Amino acid sequence: MDTDFHDKYGSTVLTSRVTLCVATWTCTATRIGIEWNLSPVGRITSKEWRDQ
Amino acid sequence: MFFRAARRLVLRKPGLGIRGIHNPGDTAHSKGKIAPYTNYHAQRSYPMPDEPFCTELNAEQRALKEKEKGSWTQLSHAEKVALYRLRFHETFAEMNRRSNEWKTVMGCVFFFCGFTALLIWWQRVYVFPEKPITLTDEWKAKQLQRILDMKGNPVQGLASRWDYEKKEWKK
Repeated sequence: MDTDFHDKYGSTVLTSRVTLCVATWTCTATRIGIEWNLSPVGRITSKEWRDQ
Repeated sequence: MFFRAARRLVLRKPGLGIRGIHNPGDTAHSKGKIAPYTNYHAQRSYPMPDEPFCTELNAEQRALKEKEKGSWTQLSHAEKVALYRLRFHETFAEMNRRSNEWKTVMGCVFFFCGFTALLIWWQRVYVFPEKPITLTDEWKAKQLQRILDMKGNPVQGLASRWDYEKKEWKK
């Protein structure tokens, strides 16, 4: 049976593009300064605010 | 009858064309038009189209068709196979075979998802306004302490998760 485009390059296309997608989204989500405003629980250390 | 005619119109679109590759050395191949411009399309849900696969026959094939009109016991095995290939493009096994097309399709899906991330990046750089002061880390820390001082949502919410003796989040 003749091999078609999908047999030859399908796996390569899939893995490379999944990697690309994951990489760009982690960059977008973490490194470029988008404020996600996640919950402070467990994450933010409080700071005294009444210091006039 | 109208359903069949409508279906034939729908199936004529190239997007629903034959999935397999035409072997150019195939002698049962129609000499005039090739996929996806013929009216022949077989699929699992509609496996026997009205028109035969090969409509333009050479002399040898026409002779075979004449012989088919007689008793079929006179046909050899090879002739029967040739007649099948004239009428139908592929066997059921060939028609129903799996393919790796899903890999290319999903690859393209993920590619465009990744491209969307780049668009959002551009948007963050060129479109978003300045981050308001209330979203800076320092302001958020002070805001948190203020809410804890006010004991906001002390039953199930934020203040209930804070340990006031140890002055840290509850484990």
